[in-house]
Amino acid sequence: MATDGTTTAQRDHPGRWPRPLTGPRRPAHLALLALVGAGLAVYSWVIAGTAPFSRGALIGVVIPGAVLGTIALVRPPERIPPPEQLDVTGMSYWVICLAAFFEWEASAWRDSSWPWHPSFTNLIGPLLEPHLIKSAAILVWLLAGWALVRR
Amino acid sequence: MPPIPTRTITIIGFAVAVVAMVVLEILARRPGSRIPTVGEWLGYLMRPKLGRVLVLVGWWWLGWHYFAR
Repeated sequence: MATDGTTTAQRDHPGRWPRPLTGPRRPAHLALLALVGAGLAVYSWVIAGTAPFSRGALIGVVIPGAVLGTIALVRPPERIPPPEQLDVTGMSYWVICLAAFFEWEASAWRDSSWPWHPSFTNLIGPLLEPHLIKSAAILVWLLAGWALVRR
Repeated sequence: MPPIPTRTITIIGFAVAVVAMVVLEILARRPGSRIPTVGEWLGYLMRPKLGRVLVLVGWWWLGWHYFAR
């Protein structure tokens, strides 16, 4: 927090929404949130029904990317202030886990000997086959994208 | 005792890595923890514009990889 009362995030990337998105929730605001949530759920359901490698599936992921990319660059919401610095020891635990995960994935990809050394994608793919599961996964992906835009 | 198939070993390896990350996130959310949450370290990486772009591209790639292919 700076002496002028602003956070680093506010100085670096000032939000340009007309008002903070994290203010008190009024009924109209809650209704809007419910409407947006329902819209995203329907969108996820529709995209989950498209065939892999189809034009519809590609468009289904391009649209959210384009929308969130535009919002992030042109009209970013008020950002959640990031930490000034990270604890090296605390962060090292994450680095170890991520390095182990990607090393494991790289070795499976290099061996390329399905089904003996399945990659993470090989394992996740069958789990995403039920329509409901895939819809939920797409919804989580969309919400994660919005969460990232706010960071 | 029969040998453990390499497929099982591979799956166990992924499971260990994923569970470890879930545990880290839970530990990070305890008051006074020195471990950053995923949101905190991603936010830190996204402070420069290049980091912001790379993280968002990574997010989009995940969607394309798992939902469009």
